[in-house]
Amino acid sequence: MSILDMCQWLQDTQFGTSLRESIWMFPIVEGTHVLALSLSVGTLVWMDLRLTGTFMKSQPMSKVSGSVLPWTLFGFTIMTITGIMLFWCQAVKAYNSIFFKMKIAMLVLAAVNAIAYHATIYLKMDEWDKVIPPPARARFAGWCSIVLWIGIIVCGRTMAYNF
Amino acid sequence: MHYLYPLFKWCDGSWIGETIRGSKYIFPTIEAIHLLGLTVLLGIMVIVSLRLFGFILQHESTRDLATDLRPFTWCSIITMLVTGYLLFASEALKCYDSPSFRFKMVCLILALIFQVTVYHKATTSDTVDKSPGFARLTAILALMLWFGVGLGGRAIGFL
Repeated sequence: MSILDMCQWLQDTQFGTSLRESIWMFPIVEGTHVLALSLSVGTLVWMDLRLTGTFMKSQPMSKVSGSVLPWTLFGFTIMTITGIMLFWCQAVKAYNSIFFKMKIAMLVLAAVNAIAYHATIYLKMDEWDKVIPPPARARFAGWCSIVLWIGIIVCGRTMAYNF
Repeated sequence: MHYLYPLFKWCDGSWIGETIRGSKYIFPTIEAIHLLGLTVLLGIMVIVSLRLFGFILQHESTRDLATDLRPFTWCSIITMLVTGYLLFASEALKCYDSPSFRFKMVCLILALIFQVTVYHKATTSDTVDKSPGFARLTAILALMLWFGVGLGGRAIGFL
């Protein structure tokens, strides 16, 4: 069974079919996915900008990330649930879209970036909590995150098109 | 609304509208920028509202936070208005018949008025930190209006 066959099977399941053909559910799920961008990336970007040392410089890094991150994670939970639902009901279209593949690749890179940050310089935050500019490793993580998320949003939106 | 029809028709037939319609790539590009603007603007509204509710960044005053965010707020609003007009011009006649578009425009006008009046007052004086009721009401109304704009915008594609 190829990946394409699995995608076909997934969107032919009862859940996939009924979501795809629904009048209200699909727009609601897609609308939620779009508007929850505000909670996920819309809040993450301020923590990233603080990481790069360009925003909220007067606030310690730990306060900014401690305040913002729980809401970001809440946003990403909504994004993941609605994103899986959207993929479920149009898996073949997604599989055939170069933009979807780019989106997933960048999501993986964003996850690697976040894990790498948390496993390294984040552990030593006491040393640079109030230091402006933050260490190069932190600034790098912040810029990577911003660039990757811009790419993810653009690719997500562009998935609707077939060029 | 029929007295607005000539305006919609003019926008639809303008060279801007024609050019965007005539290209495969311009509309998706503008749309992607519009969506990035939405992320920033609604993200700001979420952050400031959470601060107005006193949920986050309590050690920083609402005024300082809003002052830091103000350039980003207006940059994103202007980006949204410019890209929004371009998207509109390319399908103005479709928008004329769209209830979602009308809803969006009503929300947008109210949101902009709210932004320069109540929201401005709430985020430029320190009184808001002493008056939690006013702060919370401002936050709820700002969120409702701006998310109304976003919801209406997304819905144009469906009805």
